[in-house]
Amino acid sequence: MSSTRRRVEYEIVKRLVGPALMQVDHAQRRVKSLRKRAAKPAGPFGPPLESVRKLKELMTRHYLEGRYADGAVPVAWVTSGFPVEVLRPLGYHAVYPENHAALCGVQRVVPHLSEATEEVGYARDLCSYARTDIGSVMLQETPVGRLPKPDLLCCCTNICQTVLYWYRSLAAHFQVPLVLIDPPFVYGEAKPHHRQFVRDQLDELLVVAARVAKRRAPSMDEIVGVTKLAREGTRLWGECLAESRNKPAPWTGIDGFFHIAPIVTLRGTAECNAYYRQLRDELRHRVAQGIGGVREEKHRLLWDNLPIWFDVRGMSTLLAEHGFNFVCTSYTNAWAEAGSRIDPADPLGSAVFAYTDIILNQDLGKRFGTLARLAEEYSCDGAVLHSDRSCKPYSIGQLDLKQRLAKQLDIKVMVLEADHGDPRAYAVEQGHGRLTAFMESFS
Amino acid sequence: MRSAYVQRQREEHGRKSIVVLPVHYPKEILTAMDVLAVELWGPPGAPRGPEAGRLQAYVCAVVRNALAFLAGGHADVVDAALFPHTCDSVQGLATLVTDFGGWSKPSFVFQHPKGPTRASVRKYLVAELRSLADGLATLTGRPLDVAELRAAIRLHRTIDEVKTRILEGRGRLATSDRELYATLRRGEWLWPEEHLEELRVLERQLPEAGAPARKGVPLFVTGYVPEPMSILDALDEVGAYVARDDWAAIGRRVVTPARALDLEGDPFETLAALYYEAPQCPTRSLDQAGRLQRLLALYDQSGARGVIVHEPKFCEPEAFDVPAIRKAFGERGVPLLYLETELETELAGQTTTRLEAFVEMVGARRVA
Amino acid sequence: MTGAGAPVAIGVDVGSTTCKAVVVDRAGAILRHRVEPTHPRTEQQTTRILDELRLAVGCELPIGATGYGRKRVPGATKVLTEITCHARGAFSRVKRAVVLVDMGGQDTKIVRIGPGGDVADFAMNDKCAAGTGRFLEVILGRLQVPFDEVSAHVARARRSVPVSSTCTVFAESEVISLVAQGEELEGILRGLHESLAKRVAALAGVLPADARIVMSGGVALNAAMVDALGAALRREVSVLPDPQLVGALGAALSAS
Repeated sequence: MSSTRRRVEYEIVKRLVGPALMQVDHAQRRVKSLRKRAAKPAGPFGPPLESVRKLKELMTRHYLEGRYADGAVPVAWVTSGFPVEVLRPLGYHAVYPENHAALCGVQRVVPHLSEATEEVGYARDLCSYARTDIGSVMLQETPVGRLPKPDLLCCCTNICQTVLYWYRSLAAHFQVPLVLIDPPFVYGEAKPHHRQFVRDQLDELLVVAARVAKRRAPSMDEIVGVTKLAREGTRLWGECLAESRNKPAPWTGIDGFFHIAPIVTLRGTAECNAYYRQLRDELRHRVAQGIGGVREEKHRLLWDNLPIWFDVRGMSTLLAEHGFNFVCTSYTNAWAEAGSRIDPADPLGSAVFAYTDIILNQDLGKRFGTLARLAEEYSCDGAVLHSDRSCKPYSIGQLDLKQRLAKQLDIKVMVLEADHGDPRAYAVEQGHGRLTAFMESFS
Repeated sequence: MRSAYVQRQREEHGRKSIVVLPVHYPKEILTAMDVLAVELWGPPGAPRGPEAGRLQAYVCAVVRNALAFLAGGHADVVDAALFPHTCDSVQGLATLVTDFGGWSKPSFVFQHPKGPTRASVRKYLVAELRSLADGLATLTGRPLDVAELRAAIRLHRTIDEVKTRILEGRGRLATSDRELYATLRRGEWLWPEEHLEELRVLERQLPEAGAPARKGVPLFVTGYVPEPMSILDALDEVGAYVARDDWAAIGRRVVTPARALDLEGDPFETLAALYYEAPQCPTRSLDQAGRLQRLLALYDQSGARGVIVHEPKFCEPEAFDVPAIRKAFGERGVPLLYLETELETELAGQTTTRLEAFVEMVGARRVA
Repeated sequence: MTGAGAPVAIGVDVGSTTCKAVVVDRAGAILRHRVEPTHPRTEQQTTRILDELRLAVGCELPIGATGYGRKRVPGATKVLTEITCHARGAFSRVKRAVVLVDMGGQDTKIVRIGPGGDVADFAMNDKCAAGTGRFLEVILGRLQVPFDEVSAHVARARRSVPVSSTCTVFAESEVISLVAQGEELEGILRGLHESLAKRVAALAGVLPADARIVMSGGVALNAAMVDALGAALRREVSVLPDPQLVGALGAALSAS
């Protein structure tokens, strides 16, 4: 199929089909909601967020466009902490395998996809995101219909080294170039030559990304434009989260796990920002009305590490039933903090700081500082540290963090052993039992 | 034994010493600054002390044991610690013991870059090497002497050359695997010149090229570290030996440059050049195909008849390449055994069975 | 015992759960056999069994030993791993290239046997009991279902209740909570078998399209497991005659 034809198809889907589908969906929902009369509290929760519908629309469109992207526009597979601002002006469609794997986790298809991966010799001890996505590539199966093939793989090790090993395997499979941004881990303060290294790698990225896209390198104006949008999006996301400093918090931390998707996958786009403006306004409205994410908020908790995607609903219900809410999570907060350092006046120079100084690329002393600050800012009286079998960089040190948080902040802290994607590595009953015992200790 | 050695080095030569975590670091700089490197691969066995409990059970034994060892005061004889940027776990350990307790002496990091073939890497690496030398100068109290660094590079080049001859001639050497690898591994803590002397003794035992190969089933091993060492005994017992290895701790650290190095120019540039020439290692490589090519070439040179992929459980950099290794050897019909160990001191019975069955299988093939 | 030849060798397979011994003739027919729970004092137990068998056949015979206690069989003339012995035993029965799945108490082995009876490749479960007979044993014990009734239970299941945990400890608690939620026992048992079969299939890896599967080991006596394994591997699985004795048979053939 000619690339022109792919391009026309892609544009049709992007401009016409996607929005039209959403219209149909809207209409159907409106009819349903007329019958049901929405905006009532749902079980132990407050009334559902209106913005959820818009979120679903955004993400459905993103994945729908993706189906038609390869051959039409350059496609990059990108890690969550990658400076995507450089790719956008070049017209890349960015696929986020981590987000895709999270979606597979929610839909509980991880064991099936991972089995294919294990069959060819990947150990079950490896990150379940990686196992899920590699399985999805091997079987050509995904809950989103189809993922476009990459022209470029973009990997930034500021979240873990795992992505390096994972993307290296993808590069061998797809036979496409792999660009790496390798920001040295920050012990204390980053040294000048560490920062210079990141800067040099960004310059290399510009060249490779332009070559693969078969375009001239983006102008500084174009990069500044995207950077402005990314910074604005990050600020808006931060404002959404900050609304939970109110009592009661207008939404749950677990809602946040879902609403994080646009800032990860659509960062630097106008639609991402429009979405968070809407969400923020809705949350502010709820605060003004005194509407909480859980119906009766009694205790406020901090969550550390990735979500347990396949159990988020079960767990949030369990907590809400007892009047507990995760009002803050270090995971969702990371996306509000990193981008705040982006400066449109110096997009690349500031990207060095934004993408180096993120929570997982810094020493444990700083991690503790962040957790303690969040616990205070959000008035938490307890914390749950998810010891995530699939994420060593996030989990190493948690047993010490637990002690120190409990002692210095005088709050209750528990460590919950689980996995962000693989239900085979987690016994739901036991996990819920532990959480319940933890909650009982508050009375 | 090592503590006593470190102590003697201090008393007799006034040498500082530094405990080093796996895998890659510029030992030449340490030698040039008269600092003894004592590598910490675990150590094997049950963790020495309760501090291992500060890390989850899904963190590899190398890092958990190292935490128990350091925090339990077992390395207090040395003056400092060095943490190379090997993986998330070693990196996490570096901040855990320094920020949350377990190691109060000076600690240094060597953040070697990933993906050595990139242009940005060379400049950064030279800066990082200089930065490490500056840091160590605070420990030794005197700056690095460039001439001494050149001399140290030459010494370590000689060591690698002797090792290469020994490893390439392994098939003619009568020494048992246990003896051979014990000698090679003493390089993890001996002063380099003494290590070289021991290697020379081994080298002298090498028969002429063309001498008949030793008896037994030759195998090729890729993996992390030859622990438990009883694997070598188990192989010996069923008539097999390691004809060539790509253990990260041993063969993968022997650099044989394809082109001549400039040993007279800026020695930091020479060290950076060596980094480019080093064998592909999953802890820093971006290029899986390149690594596979090297493994296949080593296998062919070694005359081995089967491959053992020997990994510590929970080792991510190693484990991600395993399917590709299986496939590459599988396509050539080479028998392959995947062996996972956890730094236990003795092999589990089941593991011994697997090794024996593998040798039975490979051995039967020649007869067939 | 008409048609049977003279005894030529004894094979002993000292497994983790049971100790098996056979006397074979030149053609590989099993003339006599013993199956007992493994005793901690392996030497004493095997000495006694060997004495009994020698007495019964009335002559000295070469002895092949295999299994996890193979190095503690006094008087063994040939000591080989159970992988090699299972392959020999299985090949003497099928005389063609097959993939053998041996599910024993603590180990599950997949052995690819070549057209000449050689071991072409093999895989074994890791130290964890997740993919072994022990996994079933623990959970059946918890549910108080006797081993010989389990197939009938599974056959009666109207649907399968998925059991996602493959870790023995996790699965045990998962199963208990499923029972507490009122799921029917039969469905849970079927789910359990499917879960275990998937684990074994993962161990088997990618099999050649034309691979024929045969099964040995004590677990092969559980028809429900054979069916589940066939479904997981998407192939027909046939059970070798005397599935528990295949290792001992191979040991005897190796010694003869």
